[in-house]
Amino acid sequence: MLKKLIGGLFIVSISFGQTTANPQFSVVGDLIMNDLHNNPNLYSSGIEIAVQGYVNPFARADVYLHKHNDESALELEEAVMTIERGLPFGLGLRAGKFRPDLGKINKDHAHLFPFIEAPSGMANILGKEFWAGTGLEASIFLPVPWYSNISIGLFDSGLGDHDHDIEKEDVHNDHKDKDEHVDEHDHGINEKKEKVFSARWGHFFELSDINLMEIGTSYYKGPESSLMGADFKYKWRPNKYRSLTIQGEIVQLSIKEEHHEEKHADEVYKGEYKNKSDAGYLMINYQFNKSFNFGIIGDYYRETDKGAEINPSIFFGFSPVEESTVFRLKIGQVEDHKSHKKHLKTTAQIIWSLGPHKPHRY
Amino acid sequence: MRKLIIISSLFTCLYGQVRVVSSTSDIADIVKIIGGENVTVTSIARGNQDPHYVEILPSYMIKVRKADIYFMVGMELDLWAQQIINGSRNQKVLVVDCSVEINKMEVPTGQIDASMGDIHRFGNPHYWLDPENGKLIAKVVTEKLSNYDPKNANQYKTNLYQFETDLDSAMSKWNNKFSILKDKKIIFYHNSWPYFSKRFGLITVGFLEPKPGITPSPSQLIQVINQIKENEIEVIASESYFSDRAPKFIESKTNVRTVKLAQSVGAIEGANSYINLFETNLLILAEAYGVMYD
Repeated sequence: MLKKLIGGLFIVSISFGQTTANPQFSVVGDLIMNDLHNNPNLYSSGIEIAVQGYVNPFARADVYLHKHNDESALELEEAVMTIERGLPFGLGLRAGKFRPDLGKINKDHAHLFPFIEAPSGMANILGKEFWAGTGLEASIFLPVPWYSNISIGLFDSGLGDHDHDIEKEDVHNDHKDKDEHVDEHDHGINEKKEKVFSARWGHFFELSDINLMEIGTSYYKGPESSLMGADFKYKWRPNKYRSLTIQGEIVQLSIKEEHHEEKHADEVYKGEYKNKSDAGYLMINYQFNKSFNFGIIGDYYRETDKGAEINPSIFFGFSPVEESTVFRLKIGQVEDHKSHKKHLKTTAQIIWSLGPHKPHRY
Repeated sequence: MRKLIIISSLFTCLYGQVRVVSSTSDIADIVKIIGGENVTVTSIARGNQDPHYVEILPSYMIKVRKADIYFMVGMELDLWAQQIINGSRNQKVLVVDCSVEINKMEVPTGQIDASMGDIHRFGNPHYWLDPENGKLIAKVVTEKLSNYDPKNANQYKTNLYQFETDLDSAMSKWNNKFSILKDKKIIFYHNSWPYFSKRFGLITVGFLEPKPGITPSPSQLIQVINQIKENEIEVIASESYFSDRAPKFIESKTNVRTVKLAQSVGAIEGANSYINLFETNLLILAEAYGVMYD
């Protein structure tokens, strides 16, 4: 059904061209070269197809589809209608399947990360491709002089529901490194088709014409788990092509787990305790000019009764033509969770786009 | 319509001033001139910013949240403006495209795509760089302010008349003072200046960008150097937000002089109003061509 829909949209866009009434149609594709210094392999994470446009003067719709470069089916990443105008009290509303306003990084698509792959700690908690739930989210600006926005959402599926089925079956060996890393840290939430609630309170301050600051706090509650988070982003931007961005985020996930304890040989007590895990990252990214950026990221993860993992990486980006083509390189420390040995991993990426949905932002 | 005017007049009475937001500082300055004390105006893009690409900040949405009128440049230059307007969730804001009356230049014919660079399908959108188009913008501004705030309509019309008179007198002064610029050959960094060049008689020979929005490559710079030598070009002009590196490299290899011009009000020192934008740019160009003024 989904294939037919996309096929239809594609034929319509080619046959009739883009008029102001047609939605915007974009494709983002990539090539990734992994483990360059050790056992190099080439793969593509597939393509992302975006269809975006206005439904009426009050609402827009955004549909993102992902086709992984394997035998898996076309995947619906997001299909959301956003009512931007017309609701009372300046309310905004999103309805459909989308990435909820939870923390800073969850709303971003992976191709926007200057560090190529999502921080592994965050991926352990939010899910490999981050959290996209089906539900409703309302947001409102608070009547204060600065930007202060509260978003509250209700969804029918919780964290960890955005899995790519074929990877679970280990059919696609190209992603082996990445999959092992995440699977070892499976946080064990099983909240599929259970109602979950999420909220974020975000603030944005223009400290001056060139100094910008954003802070936020997030909360998530499902039947089996809860999450609290805080995030910040500071940007010094003297002009469009030169900027320093410092961004960080930390989340703590608590999971209820059943615990069976044998107190005596014939007596079993059943209780609950909370398994907690923390994840976060701190990134510093410097954009030198129109084409080059360089940065570092520290990736943090800790589970109850286990030591903290901190894995630093450096990354480099080259965007020869504005925002439509990007070359990225990342050299980072990763931990082998079987041997607990740390080693360096080098990843390169070429990413491109057709249409207005870009793989990179200044 | 009558109800809308009555409601808007009521709001104006309550709040005193018409709250205006514009995409660029040029339109903001014209709104200030026409609206006078009856309006407050904020520009989203600063004068020294590239108006093609403005990072959408949440704080811009707060600026638009209480606005009565939003003036856009249009012609797909400020595509980002619609996202800001929608994000503001302001239901009553009147969105006005200032390009409606403009006689558009360089409107592409046939199919356009990304291989041609950053081409605007409705024509070159840098129309405010012709003072005659400034008058057309002012007319649109006057009409919309008068509709929204009819009790001050006469004041807006008087201000429009004064603005047109000031521009006419400045134009006749510029035509005499800067007649040296007529038929002078020039290379620009980006194709922002067709309206300006046509008005003041400059002949554009080429651009540093191989295609609009594409950073000049080494081979393009060599091509421009040859072009300068062949055509005896004396001046390269660039917008204030571009890096000096490519123009300075060419300057070091040829006898060309490089200058930065104000593409918008506030982009460089001296260009602090719509009329001074032209005065400053013309003065910089005339001096680059070797004419010194007191």
